[in-house]
Amino acid sequence: MDNEMTLSFIAISENEGLARMVMTSFIASLDPTIDELAEFKTIVSEAVTNAIIHGYEEDGEGIVTIRAKRSGREITMTIRDEGRGIPNVEQAMEPLYTSKPERERSGMGFTIMESFSDHLSVWSEPQKGTAITFTKEFLPIQSNFVLGER
Amino acid sequence: MKHQLLFVEDGIAIIRLKGELDHHATQTIRDEISQSLYRGTLRAIVWNLKELHFMDSAGIGLILGRMRDFVPTNGKTVILYPSETMKKIFQYSGLGSYVWSTTEEETIAELGGIFNGQ
Repeated sequence: MDNEMTLSFIAISENEGLARMVMTSFIASLDPTIDELAEFKTIVSEAVTNAIIHGYEEDGEGIVTIRAKRSGREITMTIRDEGRGIPNVEQAMEPLYTSKPERERSGMGFTIMESFSDHLSVWSEPQKGTAITFTKEFLPIQSNFVLGER
Repeated sequence: MKHQLLFVEDGIAIIRLKGELDHHATQTIRDEISQSLYRGTLRAIVWNLKELHFMDSAGIGLILGRMRDFVPTNGKTVILYPSETMKKIFQYSGLGSYVWSTTEEETIAELGGIFNGQ
């Protein structure tokens, strides 16, 4: 059975863990492998952290919204904020680029999101916000039972 | 998020991270770790991730920052027991060569050897 959900929360860092927990529950019925789940949680965490830190500078007022859809064994998710936006998306997606080096951001967020997802796209407009959409397909469940051999 | 910092002889600090390491967690543990590290003269930091259940790129920032502030140019940073996913994150970030597949004890012995020129 396919499924859809929406989750909204204010821009405080505590909600990074909340987002990972809710999204883990949302994909639980796909019975993901440990690595699939870890990769999925990492993408969620990077995108939500971006929205909280870069979109809203952790102002505790801005709203981050996650929309997710499960279709067969594919998850499509959009993480959206209505914050300050990214002036140069291409530059932001370069490995090791960060606009906040003083905050010890590694600049690896987009590289990691791209590597762990099957498809990733970024929409952003200054003063309007940012939306990161990704899809990830989960492998068919491997059965441990072997039938018919005698 | 918890961490345990142990100093062993020879200026090698061992940091065992537990729980989930994200941007939220680094905000609380970064200063604690830095304050503890100021107490000693360091030659190496060993990060033991055996009980770390989750890490995103905030972990890279934490490790790179402590490396920059506390590990001298001829010192070493070693990462132990990362999960498969964490290993990939370290590789993408250029930290793949810091991951050792030794135990904590073997790492200390090996580092002691390196520093004593054996």
